[in-house]
Amino acid sequence: MSRPSARKAAPKGEYIETDSGNKVSRRSAITGTANITLGGRTVIMADVHLRGDLHPTRAVPSSSGKEVTPTSISIGRCTVISTGSVIKPPSRISRGQVHYYPMKIGDNVFVGPHCTISAISIASHVHIGDHTTIHPFVIIKENVKILPNTVIPANMVIPSGSVVGGRPARVVGEVGEGWGVSGGGAGVGGGLGVGGGGEKSWVEGGDLRELVRSIK
Amino acid sequence: MAQPFPYTYYSCDCYDSKVAPNPPKRASQPPPADDEDERTFDPRNARSNYSLYPLEHLLYCEDCQQIRCQRCVIEETLNWFCPSCLFEVPSSVIKSDGNRCTRNCYNCPVCTSPMTVNTLEDPTDPSSSGGPWILACPYCQWSTVEIGIEFEKHTGITSQLSRIANGGKTIPTAKERDKERERRKEIEMRKKDRDYFSGSEDSPSTDKDEGITPSHDDLFSNLSAFYKSQMASQTPSNPFSPHEINFSSPSSFSRIMNLYSSTTHKKQKREKPSPMREAASVHEGLNIHDPATDAAAIERIKRSGWSSTLSSSQKLAQPNPSIRFDSELRPVASLLQTKRGKRCRNCRHILSKPESKITSTRYKIKLLALNHIPRLSIRALSPIPLTTTQPVLYDYDRLRSGIPTHFLLHLSNPLFDPIRVTLATPSTTPGKIQSRVTILCPQFDVGANTDVWDDALSSTLSPIKKPTSIGPDGNPQTSIEAGKIWDRGRNWTSVVLEVVPGFLIQPLGSKEEEELEEDEDVLEIPIFVRLEFEADVNAEERGLGDSRGTEGKREKREEAFWTVVGVGRIVGN
Ligand SMILES: [Zn+2]
Ligand SMILES: [Zn+2]
Ligand SMILES: [Zn+2]
Ligand SMILES: [Zn+2]
Repeated sequence: MSRPSARKAAPKGEYIETDSGNKVSRRSAITGTANITLGGRTVIMADVHLRGDLHPTRAVPSSSGKEVTPTSISIGRCTVISTGSVIKPPSRISRGQVHYYPMKIGDNVFVGPHCTISAISIASHVHIGDHTTIHPFVIIKENVKILPNTVIPANMVIPSGSVVGGRPARVVGEVGEGWGVSGGGAGVGGGLGVGGGGEKSWVEGGDLRELVRSIK
Repeated sequence: MAQPFPYTYYSCDCYDSKVAPNPPKRASQPPPADDEDERTFDPRNARSNYSLYPLEHLLYCEDCQQIRCQRCVIEETLNWFCPSCLFEVPSSVIKSDGNRCTRNCYNCPVCTSPMTVNTLEDPTDPSSSGGPWILACPYCQWSTVEIGIEFEKHTGITSQLSRIANGGKTIPTAKERDKERERRKEIEMRKKDRDYFSGSEDSPSTDKDEGITPSHDDLFSNLSAFYKSQMASQTPSNPFSPHEINFSSPSSFSRIMNLYSSTTHKKQKREKPSPMREAASVHEGLNIHDPATDAAAIERIKRSGWSSTLSSSQKLAQPNPSIRFDSELRPVASLLQTKRGKRCRNCRHILSKPESKITSTRYKIKLLALNHIPRLSIRALSPIPLTTTQPVLYDYDRLRSGIPTHFLLHLSNPLFDPIRVTLATPSTTPGKIQSRVTILCPQFDVGANTDVWDDALSSTLSPIKKPTSIGPDGNPQTSIEAGKIWDRGRNWTSVVLEVVPGFLIQPLGSKEEEELEEDEDVLEIPIFVRLEFEADVNAEERGLGDSRGTEGKREKREEAFWTVVGVGRIVGN
């Protein structure tokens, strides 16, 4: 269900796998690769656009005096960015100049298809439904579920444990105590059907290792 | 909360069993043909909405050995915090200042989005403070400029806002209000005296002072001052109030004495308070309806149209919910949130307790139902042989009427003991669209939840998962056999469920063509799950894993609950 639709078999396989186990689709658009860090076992699907070229321009003080490449997007481990999503660091105009700020995304974050994300920080175990727009400088804390088609207005802070939805977004509920806990039911090779049911062997907000493994 | 298909909800029967104060009857196993068991759970019953939960929302009381839902737990607030600035608010402040953030956190009165403090500074003519400042909505672009409010500083918005009325006028402080009230009172008294002497008669409505209608806050403070004065005149001195203890007053002295002498205490019951007088003027909080304001409101709607009026939800979010026009809107201070612990309503044991620090997401105690009852899930058994890399996505939103469809019911066991499961379901689903349902193997065993590594090792030796086009016994999957499980693994078993989705249109001969209501085309199957297993008598520290090795006695246990499986939406042929 969360898998992207319409994926043609690329001749060399859909994904390029890095040494640390990141899987990056050959059909993704990544600009400014030097300014992007991926934590390992993270998936970047087709038609995802990572705007690493929009990096902070202010002088970064470095001890060695060498020039340091500024980081614009840092993504943690086992995070999945689904088809067609755009990750664009937030910017602010000051004294007539556009300044970009580095964006941080944590571990085990699921970004659904066709999202546009300009948050300043997204903590771990966050599940973002499809077609969600996150405006600049939004802060999302741990264990948050964002319902599909949500628009989160700029600068909004979403406390941990919230379920968020609507346009503009508001907190509509709390994730249960069992959020992200797959329980004894999930296991390595445990077949199908953890989660709300159905085809996935992972739970929203939980460890996405299984999902990452299944993506080929 | 709507979930995509397929989903499973678990029913907590606490409403029906009413959470008895005596120990649960579960120990004495009720006979299986109990009338309680005969009654089918109807997911379409209006009441069912309140008993169905996703598994991750349910807790489990190990003492009562029962599921606990939001209705059968007691919540205890650990602390309050602002969802926007994430500052903790002490409970003493909650009592004095209410449940809203008193920092700079405001929500847009038009669209509810959190607002930001922006500057209106002219870059060509910068001010020393960087201001003036406004509260602005980043979502709908509404700002306090529209109600004529600007701030001098970018911090302490709450205290600044409390002093500025819409339009920029200063709101008097409580002290100033009190002074003003006294002054008015005096003027009125003098006027009355004058009127008395001059003999002219005035109607009481003339004390509309200088034609200004008092604000909501004015009226409130006037009324509360009036009530306080009335209370004070009822009880001339209050022995409990430290400021008003007056030992020279005989009444307060006798009252204090009463506190220490129990004999006289009962006799001298407090006299019945005489009824208070009602507020009689504006400075006492009386608000006399003026038809002219209605006329003015109508005139205003004529002039600026409906768009200047407010929706009911916008009004309700306002501190004064009786306002009508967008010019009267005030930014809404953010409502605080709480961190809460939960206890079993029956035995008061703690079921969940988060760490009290706001920034922490950990729990000190968390007894989850998903560690105690099996997880039931469903998925379509695709008729097309699928490759493991690219599963054919089944469209759960388009179930075809009248076509037998096979689904896999997957049951995984979180317990460290093997369980015997009996599933039951009505042969036709409740509701207007009657779908036929058959569980091909309603009774089966599920293995214990042993160490994950056992499974990892065994799966490398002999893969559990055979190509899906082949059944577990080597037969091609077209031969789904009744009475046999579909597949099994370490702690899970799957069985086949056959569903014949019903018809949206009633067949001819039915009394009348009834209109289908919303979501009546959703195929939801109630499934009764009953488990039997043997567990250690003292298996309280389950989850620590090694309770199996102890030489404790084993006891037979049983657990039963209803679930509702949302399979999909029927679209006809
Ligand atoms: Zn309950
Ligand atoms: Zn706040
Ligand atoms: Zn707004
Ligand atoms: Zn209990």
